[in-house]
Amino acid sequence: MISPHPVRVAVEDDLRRSRLTVFFRLLLAIPHYVWAALWSAVMFFVGFVNWVVTLVAGRLPGGLHMLTAAYVRYLTQLFAYLSLAANPYPPFTGTERYPIDVEIEDPGPQRRLITLFRLPLAIPALAFAAVFLASYAGGSYSSGEGKNGYSGATASSIGLVWTVAFFAWFACLALGRMPMGFRNLQTYGLRYGAQAWAYLLLLTDRYPNLDPADPPSTGPLHPVGLVVTDDLKRSRLTVFFRLLLTLPHVVWLILWGVVAFLAGIAGWFAALVMGRLPRALHRFLAAYLHYVTHVGAFLFLTANPFPGFTGTPGRYPVDPELPEPERQNRLVTLFRIFLAIPAFAVSSSLYSLAFVAAFFGWFVALALGRMPRSFREAQAYALRYGAQMNAYFWLLTSRYPYSGPSLGQPEPEPEPELAPTPAELPA
Amino acid sequence: MALWLVAAYLLWPTDVPGDLKLPSVDETQIFDPALLDETEDFERFLRWNDIASNVVLLVVLVLFAWRGWRFARESAAGRIGTGMLLGMIGLALVWIAQLPFAIAGIWWQKRYDIVTAGYLEWVLENWLVLGAQFLFICLWLLITMALAAPLRDRWWLAAAPVFAGLALLLAFLTPYLVPDQRDPDPGLAADGRRIARATGQQDVDLKVQEIGDLTEAPNAFAAGLGPSRRVVLWDTLLEPPFDREEVRVVIAHEYGHHESRHIWKGLAWYALVSLPILFVVARVARRWGGLYQPRAVPVALLALVGASLVVQPFDNLITRRMEMEADWVALETTKDPDSARELFEEFADTALQDPDPPEWAHVWFDTHPSIVDRIAEATAWEQRR
Repeated sequence: MISPHPVRVAVEDDLRRSRLTVFFRLLLAIPHYVWAALWSAVMFFVGFVNWVVTLVAGRLPGGLHMLTAAYVRYLTQLFAYLSLAANPYPPFTGTERYPIDVEIEDPGPQRRLITLFRLPLAIPALAFAAVFLASYAGGSYSSGEGKNGYSGATASSIGLVWTVAFFAWFACLALGRMPMGFRNLQTYGLRYGAQAWAYLLLLTDRYPNLDPADPPSTGPLHPVGLVVTDDLKRSRLTVFFRLLLTLPHVVWLILWGVVAFLAGIAGWFAALVMGRLPRALHRFLAAYLHYVTHVGAFLFLTANPFPGFTGTPGRYPVDPELPEPERQNRLVTLFRIFLAIPAFAVSSSLYSLAFVAAFFGWFVALALGRMPRSFREAQAYALRYGAQMNAYFWLLTSRYPYSGPSLGQPEPEPEPELAPTPAELPA
Repeated sequence: MALWLVAAYLLWPTDVPGDLKLPSVDETQIFDPALLDETEDFERFLRWNDIASNVVLLVVLVLFAWRGWRFARESAAGRIGTGMLLGMIGLALVWIAQLPFAIAGIWWQKRYDIVTAGYLEWVLENWLVLGAQFLFICLWLLITMALAAPLRDRWWLAAAPVFAGLALLLAFLTPYLVPDQRDPDPGLAADGRRIARATGQQDVDLKVQEIGDLTEAPNAFAAGLGPSRRVVLWDTLLEPPFDREEVRVVIAHEYGHHESRHIWKGLAWYALVSLPILFVVARVARRWGGLYQPRAVPVALLALVGASLVVQPFDNLITRRMEMEADWVALETTKDPDSARELFEEFADTALQDPDPPEWAHVWFDTHPSIVDRIAEATAWEQRR
């Protein structure tokens, strides 16, 4: 049994938010910006010292561990506050409790070889952390001049946590509460960020865990789920050529997408008139959604086999569960396209996570013939949310996508088998 | 069979006079011995590299035909989807096996400054070409396997006209798919218009393709059907050592292809040749349950490639006759055999084409007449006047 990660996030947040502090959140945090910048500058040198000391001693001394742990806790608390994942004003010391808090185990022995190559080894973890937390990882682009010129910026360059925070800001102002799905998604990102910093700054040599269900959290039931029966084994040959093997599916996806778009428009009018999506259109759009998910899973290495072209349910190891046609509120149907915008933005950000997992997973799968479970789970989460978003957009369900990592009640955890301490061992 | 022979008989003639006797040309009297050695060295390596690459291709496909159907377990798709996967995997394995030879070929051409593109650029382009091949094989299998459902082993009879139709469509679209085209400079455009009028092809545009960043080799081609017809010159032809008269010969040669309806004839030949090839594929696949079954795809791929290699000398013969005819039209149009001879001589210098390759290599590899034959044709034209 794998022991729990030494860097964990504890959540004691009640989802209630003060509208006043939410409104001024970015300005209220100004003192923290200054303090975080100063502390980060110090930690740049401390990190180097940590590396040398850990390399020599094989573990991080208590004092340095305490300072570094406080820094990681502080950053996580600050980011939780800024992203609206927590409500109270965070402390400056990183030592006091906070509703979204980091628990870091005491210093333990660390492998010197891993310590030696810590910086290059941390690159994938930092890339994932950037997907969650980068405030602006991409850039604007422009080309040409005059009326022929074009310019823009990639929305996905904003970290997932901040994309959610943007929409959460409006939700909190309107409701005085943070949507649970948003908060849980942010907690997932903050937890990964804390583990990545802890790894980089040598608090632990345990690699950050991308699995969104570690630890399992609660979530509501949702009519759109994802059934994953994949065994993590991958064919190296099809992994190597995965991008090109997907090409015929991309062509078919585009052709089908054009028809699905027209069917979606027809379905929208029909749903406005009848109050429900006609069964034939529901079946057609559901098949398209199955197919989109299958192709996404194949492209991202979430599953191994080459998918079929028909979107037949139950034929692929990563397959969405879709509901039967149901009555839908006409007003919600009328504004469906606008209502879907936040879900679309969150889905795009989650897909960038799936993409980065596919990028690094490609190398791992080529080397080992297996996809790391945590990568697969993160991708399945992105695909599930994408399926929920598409099902909502294409009127297959009236239920809004749930952005949290877990759906339904988690299975009861078995009691961990604790290893006996040396004192408990028989003499 | 009789129909096939009648069609071939009708397509065979060209405007080159049947009684034309090519005079003997001694290459050593025309070319510097050092250049002859260099072209021979250059082409010899590429030839043997190609032969080795083709041998590896066949070996890989034989192995794939033997064991490849096992990759069907990597598919969750239906009959045709699984067939597509097997087809793509077959091509992927061929790509891997042939990559060293392709790199060797590029290395050799870079050594002689024929190719200027970097290896990374070339590998990226090669990767994209593989993607296009994947799409092609998927379309091929989609058509054949779909037709095999109702027609079983007679699918090839219906597939041949379908493929001919697709080839027609591709021939029509090709001019629009060629990247980096621009209009020619005024002087070149005026030459183009004059030659177009002389060949009765006034509605065929002349374009220049900017390709000098990738290669030093000179080239031009005629493409398109009906309203999409055009002549495209590589910009490498517009640099020294080629002068204006020589470029006119090239333009007239390409307009000659349009005048002689070579693209239509090429399509007709393609339709004719594809019939026996598809028949062979169908016969071979029948032993593995027919192309209706995805497990027959690896062996069908072997049969397709094998049959294509077998008919390659015949294909080359057809294209060589067309090129000879286009040269004849160019001579009739420009009435400038001296420039034609100089142009062909410079091909040896700039593209390092062996002026007089061994007969077996000429038959197997060459889609154009040898430089010596082209010079001889220009001399024969002059003598007839």
